[in-house]
Amino acid sequence: MTGHAVSPRAVLGAGVVTGFAALPLFGLDEYWIYILTIGFYYAILASSWSLLVGYVGRISFAHVAMSGIGAYTSVLASGSFGWPLYFSIPLAGLVTGLAGLAIGRLCLRLHGAYLGLTTIAFSEIVRITITAEYELTRGSLGLAAVGLFETTDRLPYYYSFLAILLVCLLIMWLILRSRIGMFFAAIREDEDAAASLGVKVVRWKIFAFTFSSVIAGIAGGFYAHFVQLVAPSMMSIQEMGLVLSMAVVGGFQNIFYAALGGILLEVLLEAMREIGEWRMTAFALAVILILRYAPNGLFGELVRTLSTRKAPA
Amino acid sequence: MTLLALSEQVINGLIIGIFYALAALGLSLIFGVLKIVNFAHGELYMLGGFVYYVFSSLLGLPPVAAVLVACSGLFVVGMAIEHLLIDPIHRGKVERADEYAIMITFGLALLLQNLMLSVFGPWTNRPEAIFRGRIEIGMLIISGDRLSAASLGIVLICAILYLLRYTWAGKAVRAVSQDRETAAIVGVNAKLTGMLAFGLGAALAGAAGALIGPVFLVYPTMGVIPVIKAYVIVVLGGLGSVPGAILGALILGQVENLATVLVPDTTRALAYKDAYGLVLLVLVLVFRPQGLLGEKVRRS
Repeated sequence: MTGHAVSPRAVLGAGVVTGFAALPLFGLDEYWIYILTIGFYYAILASSWSLLVGYVGRISFAHVAMSGIGAYTSVLASGSFGWPLYFSIPLAGLVTGLAGLAIGRLCLRLHGAYLGLTTIAFSEIVRITITAEYELTRGSLGLAAVGLFETTDRLPYYYSFLAILLVCLLIMWLILRSRIGMFFAAIREDEDAAASLGVKVVRWKIFAFTFSSVIAGIAGGFYAHFVQLVAPSMMSIQEMGLVLSMAVVGGFQNIFYAALGGILLEVLLEAMREIGEWRMTAFALAVILILRYAPNGLFGELVRTLSTRKAPA
Repeated sequence: MTLLALSEQVINGLIIGIFYALAALGLSLIFGVLKIVNFAHGELYMLGGFVYYVFSSLLGLPPVAAVLVACSGLFVVGMAIEHLLIDPIHRGKVERADEYAIMITFGLALLLQNLMLSVFGPWTNRPEAIFRGRIEIGMLIISGDRLSAASLGIVLICAILYLLRYTWAGKAVRAVSQDRETAAIVGVNAKLTGMLAFGLGAALAGAAGALIGPVFLVYPTMGVIPVIKAYVIVVLGGLGSVPGAILGALILGQVENLATVLVPDTTRALAYKDAYGLVLLVLVLVFRPQGLLGEKVRRS
């Protein structure tokens, strides 16, 4: 990976990005452009979730709740208060960041299971609260949101979400290859050893959780102004299960594989529409089998087989 | 508020607390022995409800027999889950054991929930209650289905406590909870004890689901909210502490019922009923993270 002027993975990555950028030019119909745009949103969620799980070793079940909080924040700020979107979407990131900071400070000093327990409770209770505050949020009917663009054309949304995804991945990648990424790895492998070597373990765990929450919040903010409707169902446990499946199926130990998993599962979800609920049953079964037998995920295993086959030649 | 209304709420809270205790006890038992939080616990509870529904309403078994079928069925399911998915952790077959345990049980929850959605659909089913009708104590009126289910719940809790306290298997469970390696050295089969603990935990969850089914209805997502209560309870009582789980359950039952009465705006108070647990959870995490009866453990 290192040492070469251009690594094969970088070529592969550039190829995938160019592929997605070029797809609409080859007459991909509107419907699938719409689906892929949703896929990019899920890719942001799955990759930022895997940043916490795969690199720091902490699991949050509040990731879609954070996205939902971001979505509601931006919709309420732009709708009820009339703030412009370039203000309301960063506000979404700020609010979810504060929520992440608060939960992180409560739980991340404790055993890893506490974050899971607290975030699953937090997530359901946020959903209940938003459903119950009918006057403000219109409950389960949901709130209408203004669009990012004036046009009803799908293409601007497609390219903006692709760009947002790439920017998020770039920021995460830069963090992971900096000293902070080393701290994360040290915490994941052995917290006590990391602490004894001077890594501020709690601080960096809180940072990772807050940071991934901010990304989820901003993604939720953008998503709200793309689908133009936010409803409490976007923060259900089922939805969290979908994001987890995306990250695990793609490969939760690598943000890029997790992102690809997000796009793949969203496409599959649409392609297998006629089998209804059985889709999620199949995804859940895939999650269990992959965790047990191929923890690197589909793309992780794929890249590994390709690179080991190439190695002797 | 009158004394009568208050005592009615206290009794309601007590009954709910007993159901919570059944679910939380299993969770605590599993955590104690295997050191994992079972994120599929709510779905085991849901399965218990469905087994009860199928056997009592569709196959016409007497309700008490159907509860026992649900218990024993879930016991077997729990042992199978431990053997297939959890035991590999202890045999060193998975890397990243902590993350694996959380994700695999959550994945299992997803699988069971969607499987039941696919098979039975999202509709609610109301199975036969053990006893319908009402019981009047002076001015107090308690609905019979709740009271009979809660009584059976108390019997089950006592049976589990007896089992843990006085039988060899119970001693093995407690020994492995304290120290897996040392227990193995003195001849306890840790693998079998793990299966037993998961089986018992699942059976308790199944019992809770079966007993509550006639009151709160049976449907694929019925476990989501109750299991969150159980999570709050085990953190409140102390992760892995069996008496803590029972105490925590009784406290949460009271807090929810009394808070609902004390908040003046009734519709909103009811809507937030499930949220009071989170307030409790935050308080515990801030002031007593090890829980009421938990042991202080090293941060990790």
